[in-house]
Amino acid sequence: MASQNRTGLERAEGVIIVSVLLALVVITVQPILNLLAISLSDPANVPGMSGLAIIPEGLSFDIWTLLANHPAVQRGLLNSVFITLTATLLNVVFTSLMAWALSRHQLPLRRTIFIMVLITIVFEPGIIPDYFVMRRLGLLDEYASVIIFKMVNAWYLIILIRFFEEIPEELIEAAELDGANPFQVFWRVVLPLAKPALATITLFYIVYHWNDFLRPMIYFNDQGKWPLQVVLRQFVLVGDKAAIVGLESMNNYTGASQIDFKAFRAGMILFTILPVLLIYPLILKYFTKGTMSGALK
Amino acid sequence: MARTPKNNQISPYGGNVPSNIESALGRALNDDWDEGIFESRSDRFRDGIRRWWPYYLMMAPGLIYFAVFHFLPVWEAKLAFEDLRIIGPNIWVGTKHFVQLFASPAFFDVLWNTLIISAMKIAFVFPLPIFLALLINEVRNPRFRQSVQSVIYLPHFLSWVVIAGIFIGALSPSDGAVNDLRDIVGLDRRAYMTDSGAIRWVLVWSEAWRSSGWDSLLYFAAIMSIDPQLYEAAEMDGASRWQKMRHITLPGIVPTIATLFILNVGLFLNAGFDQVFNLTNDAIRDKIDIIDTYVFRLGITGGQFSLATAAGLFKGVIGMLMMLSAHFLSKRLTGKGVW
Repeated sequence: MASQNRTGLERAEGVIIVSVLLALVVITVQPILNLLAISLSDPANVPGMSGLAIIPEGLSFDIWTLLANHPAVQRGLLNSVFITLTATLLNVVFTSLMAWALSRHQLPLRRTIFIMVLITIVFEPGIIPDYFVMRRLGLLDEYASVIIFKMVNAWYLIILIRFFEEIPEELIEAAELDGANPFQVFWRVVLPLAKPALATITLFYIVYHWNDFLRPMIYFNDQGKWPLQVVLRQFVLVGDKAAIVGLESMNNYTGASQIDFKAFRAGMILFTILPVLLIYPLILKYFTKGTMSGALK
Repeated sequence: MARTPKNNQISPYGGNVPSNIESALGRALNDDWDEGIFESRSDRFRDGIRRWWPYYLMMAPGLIYFAVFHFLPVWEAKLAFEDLRIIGPNIWVGTKHFVQLFASPAFFDVLWNTLIISAMKIAFVFPLPIFLALLINEVRNPRFRQSVQSVIYLPHFLSWVVIAGIFIGALSPSDGAVNDLRDIVGLDRRAYMTDSGAIRWVLVWSEAWRSSGWDSLLYFAAIMSIDPQLYEAAEMDGASRWQKMRHITLPGIVPTIATLFILNVGLFLNAGFDQVFNLTNDAIRDKIDIIDTYVFRLGITGGQFSLATAAGLFKGVIGMLMMLSAHFLSKRLTGKGVW
């Protein structure tokens, strides 16, 4: 669509547009690069470092070593990984099964079930009744509470239903004529066709569980069950150094003479977002590529 | 197929809603309404069971989940009308807790904060992704455009714990990036996080930082679906970049803007629990305490479960009414509902 005769005005506009976008990119990335620079600097230099710095002052891996050997962080990492993986597995299995059934137009009571799902989207009674349900079920302080409290996300369910509805009816009927039962049709016909949609909701469930801090915080009294987000929150936002570590014991892990709180905070934040950064390319691939490549036409 | 639902239910409270999921649900509500009502009921029932039981088996875990974790809480919400007792059944007290709630100035403070913070976000954050999508659409080099998009979507996937950590660091009066910049241009350092005049703006700008990139994707997708022939015709007529944006692109995304705007109004009472909860501190709490954080403090921290449930229920009911109005208004205006 490039116009043939670009005037000086158009070129000036182009320069402005590119600069604004570059500025936005800088605003988005700089805070993260700053944390990286601080976490990789020699801890002794950290207190004097500016928030604008993006290059480490005196390269050192002290902070990362300390984090990797820190019991509360290790424990949090294990908890986060365990909760995220089990919860996502359950989420994807049960969401897709339910979506497959609900995508069958002649299913009796389909409309009623839809309305029920819709009600749960529109009306939320709040966190206190949720808490009492968990208590009634005896799940407080159990991993199960945060693993199943959001087992089927109504929005992802709707996305999948819509996707399954687009699968050609003939394919399903052909499989049924071959004697496949509904489970076999689901496994052999529907799931292979739905890979992109499944990948998308899988990634979103992963991000959801990885980032959730509220429910673990409410449901787990036992600090040993805290996922990384809650550990991070307790340390960085609440500033509760003593509860989690105690600065003296921190120093024992590296032998470093002095670890600045700022450096620890920077490393801890990065440590927490690392898995999200790792799957981010996949998110871009499955979720946004279609939209972006649409632009290439 | 890459759909672009906004992943909004990432937090139970912070939700926006995938806008373009128009209608699996809508369709279902209109479909299969009037088939075969004249058959004998018991015959249909028997055939139905024979044919459909495997599907019900598949749905069983999901249905049980919805019953236990979405409908049981509605039943538990009756606590708002009861006094909680440690031993023995709760005592029914009617509207006592609601009366207490509406009599307390604290409740109206948080209600006001909720409304003003939501209003500020709609006024200042809502337009940003629209401008952003228009800007991105003007970039001619696809590689540059994709790189920009890949970067600006990222903050959407970070938790508010992380973003609060980043913002508190960047706004720190001693060594935060913002104050270091102010220093360079000769302005005084400011302690934004403890400044009751500034803290609501911190909410607005952190929300913008987190969501405007990702939200621009929705508008960008809408722009991509505009017929390219319109642009070609306009170029033949010698239309400038500005004229094309004004007369083709903008009108093309007006329905998307309208739907999302109405949706945002429908979610007005969700001023952002995760955000406020992580960015708040004692110095400025009274400026940004919203209904959701009030419920949390009253109930989970303070143990006043009945009062907290009442506040949560109030929000739930008003929120539901607003959401439903938003849906029907949207359907009326744009032909597309919220779901």
